[in-house]
Amino acid sequence: MAVQGIWSGTISFSLVAIPVQLVKAVEPGRVSFRMLHLKDYSPLRRRMYCPEEEKAVPPDEIIRGYEIGPERYILITDEELESLSPERSRTIEIIEFIDMKEVDPIYYDHPYYLVPSKGGEKAYRLLAEAMHRTNKAGLAKFVLAEREYLVAIRSVEGALALITLHYSDEILPDEDISPKERGIDVEEKTRIKKSIRQMTAGFDPRKYADERRTKIMDILKKKVKEKALVEAPEMEREEEEGPADLVSALQKIMGKVKKSR
Amino acid sequence: MSRRVFEIAGKRLSLSNLDKDLYPSYGFTKAHILEYYRRISKFILPHLKDRPLTLKRYPEGVAKAFFYEKRCPSHSPEWVRTAEINLGDKELMRVCLINDIESLMWVENLASLELHVPLSRAASPETPDSMVFDLDPGDEADILDCGRVALILRDLLSELRLSSYVKTSGKKGLHVYVPLNRNDTTFEDTKKFSKAVAGIMEKHYPDLVTARMAKEYRKAKVFINWSQNDPSKTMICVYSLRALEKPVVSFPLAWKELEKFVGKDDPERLRVMAPEALRVAEKEGDLFRDVLVKKQKLPHL
Repeated sequence: MAVQGIWSGTISFSLVAIPVQLVKAVEPGRVSFRMLHLKDYSPLRRRMYCPEEEKAVPPDEIIRGYEIGPERYILITDEELESLSPERSRTIEIIEFIDMKEVDPIYYDHPYYLVPSKGGEKAYRLLAEAMHRTNKAGLAKFVLAEREYLVAIRSVEGALALITLHYSDEILPDEDISPKERGIDVEEKTRIKKSIRQMTAGFDPRKYADERRTKIMDILKKKVKEKALVEAPEMEREEEEGPADLVSALQKIMGKVKKSR
Repeated sequence: MSRRVFEIAGKRLSLSNLDKDLYPSYGFTKAHILEYYRRISKFILPHLKDRPLTLKRYPEGVAKAFFYEKRCPSHSPEWVRTAEINLGDKELMRVCLINDIESLMWVENLASLELHVPLSRAASPETPDSMVFDLDPGDEADILDCGRVALILRDLLSELRLSSYVKTSGKKGLHVYVPLNRNDTTFEDTKKFSKAVAGIMEKHYPDLVTARMAKEYRKAKVFINWSQNDPSKTMICVYSLRALEKPVVSFPLAWKELEKFVGKDDPERLRVMAPEALRVAEKEGDLFRDVLVKKQKLPHL
């Protein structure tokens, strides 16, 4: 199977290096819509808008500010942020092996699969099997899209799955959530236990579906049949401007040049 | 037909029709033209060297018919250097290289008043030595508008740490050169880069600049012709005469001078004639020298 991964590199620990690709494990099922101009159905674009001047602000006039109080900001430039980004890396380095049961699901962020790249199949299978037998997950750090993630690598039915984890300081405190214990009467306890027992079932996710999504898709299907389609006016195709990096550098410099003239 | 044999750098060359006035409304004979190119030779030769020359011949003078000649004329003397260039489909064409004064005198005797050369050398046709912005004023725009655009371009390029050099086209426009002189820069790079620059200039100075070839966009604007950055295109060589009513030259300018002329609204100073070209070049030296030697890398590609 030729997969188009979102990242490729190697998983490594001690002397093992396994070439892999990272692929998505979920595709959120939200139905997304384009916003159109009611007048002629042209697709609309988001712009940064300055309420003070009542006009759109071009990218070269925009800077980030960290809000420290009402109308008080600390400025931070793209360069400063860039200097903090971790270096891109091509390895997922396993630091330690842990018991997945010890990881509270609240830490789970986003799931992916790791697919073996050419030549890595054997080592991949070995690692997946060994992790399955020992019932351990690998804990690793890994840079994706300019951010360093803490991730857990698990063995799932012969495959390796990767899940990004939240850092502990992202987890909100839960101390005040459970109410203080007061005398609960025994009869009540037994009744609740019994209800739970009666309603216990195996987890079968296929029994459930996002009903709103299903309904929206039904409406859309119906509309296609009824030909309730609109067309946007033919747009003058915006000419390709050039390499994104160059265009954004030019954009920035142009603002500077204009100011100094 | 009058004909005289000269000896130039030890080579015998027969020159013809020396009294023929090739710029009749001004009065500039073939002898004048040969004399101009002889005196400018030490400045122009480095810029012609090893580049396939496209001859633009005006045998009956600037007011009459001309023709281009890309192929080196079959009657060329054996001491004129030539190169074989690929026309695609494995077809080769023999072209002239003007590497010495005797070859220069020979092509001028053929009344090739204008000398056009590509941005790359014959031996490395895919590697441009420089990137060029050909600034061409549309109707109702003039050379001073080109000057304004050139100055903005200079500032923009200098922010990218690229030195640039400007010359008059000799006609209505200006040419801005960015020396590269690296064997790893391709025409694909220079085209992509110059196109993006032209696009951004158009976006920020929509009343002054267009990056589009079509005539209807060019009215009262300066067209930044980035598409000259192509192996098949040629540019008028710096110090070459132009075939206009008067013997005007494509001549390099110091940026400070251009600033001054633009500031004073003085377009006449941007028309450099042969006698002035000789005087300035002999006094100032070759202002375009760096175009041949300065090594620069295009960033953000």
